[in-house]
Amino acid sequence: MNSELLPSSGIGMNPVVGYAALVLVALSTVLIGIYGLRISRTTGDFYVASRTVRPWWNASAIGGEYLSAASFLGVAGLILISGVDALWFPIGYTAGYLMLLLFVAAPLRRSGAYTIPDFAQARLDSLLVRRVTSLLVIVVGWLYIVPQLHGAALTVRITTGLPSWVGPVAVVVVVALSVVTGGMRSITFVQAFQYWLKLTALAVPLVFILLRLGSTGMPLTAQGAAFTADLDITGQASLYSTISLVIALLFGTLGLPHILVRFYTNPDGASARRTTLIVLGLLSVFYLLPTAYGILGRIYTPELATGGGADSTVLLLPGRIFDGVAGDLLSALVTAGAFAAFLSTTSGLVVSLAGVVSQEFFSGSVRGFRRAAVISAAIPLVFALLTDTQALAGSVGSVFAFTASTICPLLLLGIWWTGLTDVGAVAGMLTGAVLCGGAILSAALLGSEAAAEFAWLQQPALWTVPAAFLVTVLASKATRNRRPPGTSRVLARLHSPETP
Amino acid sequence: MREVAEESEVGQLFVTSLIRSQLRLALVVAGGFLIILIGIPVLLTLFPSISGVTVFTVPVPWLLLGFCIYPLVIGCAALYVRSASRNEKRFQDLIDEF
Repeated sequence: MNSELLPSSGIGMNPVVGYAALVLVALSTVLIGIYGLRISRTTGDFYVASRTVRPWWNASAIGGEYLSAASFLGVAGLILISGVDALWFPIGYTAGYLMLLLFVAAPLRRSGAYTIPDFAQARLDSLLVRRVTSLLVIVVGWLYIVPQLHGAALTVRITTGLPSWVGPVAVVVVVALSVVTGGMRSITFVQAFQYWLKLTALAVPLVFILLRLGSTGMPLTAQGAAFTADLDITGQASLYSTISLVIALLFGTLGLPHILVRFYTNPDGASARRTTLIVLGLLSVFYLLPTAYGILGRIYTPELATGGGADSTVLLLPGRIFDGVAGDLLSALVTAGAFAAFLSTTSGLVVSLAGVVSQEFFSGSVRGFRRAAVISAAIPLVFALLTDTQALAGSVGSVFAFTASTICPLLLLGIWWTGLTDVGAVAGMLTGAVLCGGAILSAALLGSEAAAEFAWLQQPALWTVPAAFLVTVLASKATRNRRPPGTSRVLARLHSPETP
Repeated sequence: MREVAEESEVGQLFVTSLIRSQLRLALVVAGGFLIILIGIPVLLTLFPSISGVTVFTVPVPWLLLGFCIYPLVIGCAALYVRSASRNEKRFQDLIDEF
């Protein structure tokens, strides 16, 4: 197919570059997956890599899995559109891990459960809590996969000129293949590799771009115009929106299913903490890069701000600075990194969802895990193909608000408060789900015109998270007699260090 | 050791105090971090003139939010990891003595 005939390829990217990058990433992912297959054989290997992964590997894997389409493409795109307000997204994505370290990492690892529903059942000894938690985890996972697939659609369309559906389908096929063949052990290798791939894919082109700009005297920030340029199509964020967004991102990270499952692959609680500390370093280094792309984009790709193509800033910037082969090679590198982002986040989510789905419906066998993995990948694919691409960073933000309002209270109170009961947990999760889900849906129905007055619906975390906590605590206090008898024993296990 | 902590009454007491000190530590670090973090937009809203100050053409809000936050996050995390391990070490010593 000749790409010049397609409207979306008027931006001048060589389609051969796109194909080469996509095929390379897909191949290396599958190959590393197969290499991992030789090591993983038992059910435990499939789920949590037998808990033998070292902190640096594990931290790279967590970073690789976490840095999604929203981070790789969305942050730069949002900086292009809304300037300094967008910087809160990478801050929230990073600081979420600080909250995870402070409140969750070590105790959750010591709980010895495979998934969040496992934890809920072990802590509260209730099948109902388990069911509700499973349901929420599955919903959150699917909601989070959809923007990844939208990112894949955008990338494949821009880089190869192929129709939008090819991207999501390719991602789902590669992910399903590597998860079904290798399970978690191979996924750990794949994810660790993909963190470094993503970092390289942004860092190398950026270094070349900066050298080029420096040596030819082209403007770097245009005397500060890059920061003040009025490309805003979103209007300035209010103090309320900013704080609410920060709360959502900080406390939403705790409850993301693919994040938690990673912590079970640490050998003990102390190493779970060390791993998280390394993750914070890796994320901090990474986020400087899309920030730089966003700032440069405000000078070199400002027209993307209005056409709804802001998320393609990272992909197109190298080609704006370099012509010919150099531009093609650097574009290939960022394309590869973007594809790695969709693959790694999607496969991380599919693994953790498959763990939940197979234990809930297929009795937790290896065959059940494979079947569950295919189901977990296929359903969000259908959603992604039926819905339209939105700003990536924004749609992921809503998922964070939802997890912060549902799973976060269960985890925090479950780990730190002896008073939690099954009734309290379920009441809190349902309150959070109804309030936050309702707010996000009504904001979507109202449309972006009504933005200013309805900030409290668009960024609901500031009131839905406290509401969920409050209901959990009150309902638990009202049902004091339902506290599971082994509570203090369970808490002791969560918090006392392992015997060396 | 975990068994000692779980089964004896004194062990339970040690565990309770360990949980309390770990929670206090986590809350102090989180609270300090959040005050600084939320303080930035509050200050920028109260004193909009800060946004006009630039360092090498970079406005101060960009510098704070785009760069300075990250060392702060890592610093808080490192501080927490050290203190949390110390709390556990102290707990372990108590149990061993007992």
